[in-house]
Amino acid sequence: MKKVLYIELENCIGCRSCLAACTQCGGHEQRNRNYVIDVNPFVDRQTMPMMCLHCENPPCARSCPVQAIQVHETGAVLSAMTEKCLGCQNCTIACPYGIPKFDVEQNLMYKCDLCIDRTKDGIPPMCASVCPTNTLQWVTEEELAVKKSQFRLNNGMMASMEDPYLENKTNVHVSLPGILEGKEKLF
Amino acid sequence: MQEVKALKEIPKNVNHPNEELIKTHCSYCGMQCGMNLRVNTKTNKIIGVEPRYEWPVTEGKMCPKGVTAYQQTNHKDRLLKPLIRDDASKKGTKEGFREASWDEALDLIVKNFKALQEKHGDDTLSVYSGVSMTNEKCYLTGKFARVALKTKYIDYNGRFCMASAAGGSLRSLGVDRGSSLPWTDLHQTDCLFIAGSNTAECHPTSMYRVWEVQNRGGYLIVVDPRETPIARRADLHLDLKPGTDLALANCMVHLLIKNGHIDEEFINQHTNGFEETKELVALFTPEYTSEITGVSPEKLIRAAEIYGKAPNAIVMFARGVEQQSKGVDNVSAYINMALVSGKIGRPKSGVATFTGQGNGQGGREHGQKSDLLPGYRKITNPQHVKEVCEVWGIKPEEMPGPGVSAYELFELMDKKEIRGMYLLCSNPAVSAPNLNFVKNAMKNLDFMVCSDFYMSESAEFADVVLPSTTWSEDEGTVTNLEGRIIKINRAQKPLGECKTDWEIQIEIAKRYGKGKYFEHLKTAKDVADEFRLATKGGNADYSGATWEKIEKQNGVFWPCNEESVDGTPHMFLDKKFYHPDGKAKICALPYRPPGEEPDEQYPLRLTTGRVVYHYLSGNQTRRIPFLKDMCPEPYVEVHPELAAKYKIEHDQVIRLFTRRGEANYKVKITEAIRKDTVFVPYHFGHEQSINLLTNAALDPMSRMPEFKVCAAQIEKL
Repeated sequence: MKKVLYIELENCIGCRSCLAACTQCGGHEQRNRNYVIDVNPFVDRQTMPMMCLHCENPPCARSCPVQAIQVHETGAVLSAMTEKCLGCQNCTIACPYGIPKFDVEQNLMYKCDLCIDRTKDGIPPMCASVCPTNTLQWVTEEELAVKKSQFRLNNGMMASMEDPYLENKTNVHVSLPGILEGKEKLF
Repeated sequence: MQEVKALKEIPKNVNHPNEELIKTHCSYCGMQCGMNLRVNTKTNKIIGVEPRYEWPVTEGKMCPKGVTAYQQTNHKDRLLKPLIRDDASKKGTKEGFREASWDEALDLIVKNFKALQEKHGDDTLSVYSGVSMTNEKCYLTGKFARVALKTKYIDYNGRFCMASAAGGSLRSLGVDRGSSLPWTDLHQTDCLFIAGSNTAECHPTSMYRVWEVQNRGGYLIVVDPRETPIARRADLHLDLKPGTDLALANCMVHLLIKNGHIDEEFINQHTNGFEETKELVALFTPEYTSEITGVSPEKLIRAAEIYGKAPNAIVMFARGVEQQSKGVDNVSAYINMALVSGKIGRPKSGVATFTGQGNGQGGREHGQKSDLLPGYRKITNPQHVKEVCEVWGIKPEEMPGPGVSAYELFELMDKKEIRGMYLLCSNPAVSAPNLNFVKNAMKNLDFMVCSDFYMSESAEFADVVLPSTTWSEDEGTVTNLEGRIIKINRAQKPLGECKTDWEIQIEIAKRYGKGKYFEHLKTAKDVADEFRLATKGGNADYSGATWEKIEKQNGVFWPCNEESVDGTPHMFLDKKFYHPDGKAKICALPYRPPGEEPDEQYPLRLTTGRVVYHYLSGNQTRRIPFLKDMCPEPYVEVHPELAAKYKIEHDQVIRLFTRRGEANYKVKITEAIRKDTVFVPYHFGHEQSINLLTNAALDPMSRMPEFKVCAAQIEKL
């Protein structure tokens, strides 16, 4: 059954388990490829995981002059291939989410590959595996549909990212803040 | 209604070549998250971690400490050989140690301990232990102190952690199992009432169940002076002044009674003390309580209404209410809420406490506490003493009497009544209150032994440091915060010359001439079998919890007194409590203020706590690169308005001081803290330790110090 990464932003407590877990994924060489930012540290202290959204038509790959960034059949946008990457950094500039990072020493870009060695076999990526708050979830498309129907914002928009996109459709889905707005209470 | 996802399909694990996955649990807090350690089969080294999806409590989830816990075993800072200090003038520093053989170290310990006892009596020695260790080790430490060293002075760091929760539960319910229900009930309840727990940072892997309650339309009520991540999203955040919980809890009971949200049948049949309590809490109107706590009457009324109307509700609490000089009363007062409303003794309703240390539950049940023997037996009860003596093979008159609590041990060291200490698995030079005094007391010792796997701040005061093993180099059981007995498995052979604590104690016992009581214990399993036998018949009966059964059942909930029964996930289902008449006690508890209130000279309230990246004294987590990078140093949280008043800015270093000490901290400006309160995390040592400032006012019953509130002042540098 196809599963997708789904991010429920409001659940995030800023523990950065996802970062620590990312370092544990095979081939990541102890470096995390995802980030957590403090949205407004002095006031609401909300934190937000910055994960690669694995665009369907990824600008990082589009902007790569040598096709070093491949899109896996599962939809995962892979890290730059070492044998092809020129180190031009077009991809880091092209990405509207600030995900690909550049390793100056290795002259190589690195980014989230959605733990391809796990997800290709249906095993959840490390970040979603460990996330103690269910901010990051690895769900089936049916479960995602339930989420979409469950969490409606006051403005009537679907919570799970359909529109607007910064770039184009993505394989990773994000709920906008406000998932509990209008939630009917049990009693 | 949607269930939490992973209960349906359990993901597989990645199988790397030349690797074995060893099922075990995290080395840190009471959640004891299930994890697989990745072990290279060729080198016998732990090389990583893989989630343990099939573990029902956490389903593969881990916090950043859990993910990186495996890095502690093969860390470069591991102590690999015994160390001896020949120059006592260098005590209190890392200097002056030399490497020694085990024989030399153990002989020296026995020689010095014996000499002290001959001169000053048996009770001149003390044992100070911890509860981040297995039940088997905890049990053996109690036996080692009383049978081998023959001293009554044994106590443990649970006094700084769980003693008040234990005291409150014992008084109200007659038994102390931290949680009356399994954690897998948490997300199914309708209302969580959480007091004094920074759950998101201290027990993060509970959070997906907490959020699920809200996702289902249930309520979350949080009582905390700080707007912690869990309070931020709560339906109701009661931001009380530190140290005023007792008034707030009494007000909740007052309102439950006033609004008819009580279960009269339950009260009449299964409790004592209601009328007395009703009379006492009548004083605690929302208006009066608001004056004490600083929480608005409207919020108090709404909180009681939600809890009262909830079909099922769980009252939960943690160190915020327990680490006070009235911690036991606070706990009983919150349990009163469950008792008057009858919301206890059934699934999805009850009371639960968040356990701070890995084996905070099991560690306090098996005889490391100055007044307790294995299976929660009392050392002052001749029948209990007789039962344990039969297992140990000693005569009841040989059993030492009750000793004193952890902090009081240091008071006796200061008075030279205690001249020797055997310290293991704890770091009081960071975690004890009023540290200047405690450090001087340790310096004052004639001879001190410290067993640890890193050079801790406390080891700096030792004469002999023994290299012990990490959790992944030993095996045994621990009891998690649910009361579930679980199995820790060995993933790697001990590094260098390290030995497990139970092996070290047996070695010393033999050299002490007490071999006959210990030498039959050759493996951890041998210790486990004797330990289970020693608990038989006690309140915390583990005798039916064999290692095989624990594996098979994914843990066994105590009490479990027969091999043929499964254990007890839900307590009190038969509405029988553990007092002799089978009834629970609703306690009438008059309010009293904290040991120290703000005044002109010290106008602020100081409170302390944790951050998500560190565990206890930080001796382990401060060495893990990821965790150190995320939180390298402590800070003081100051509200923007307070900062403006003192004209201090974010990241500026200021001096914080109380009647007991002072320290400098970087300012963190945040609206998460009350305007009259400052907060500092306690995981740091030496001059950065906030416990240099905290107050050692002790709870009269649990002897727990008041870490959570004292009067303080800040000064611009």
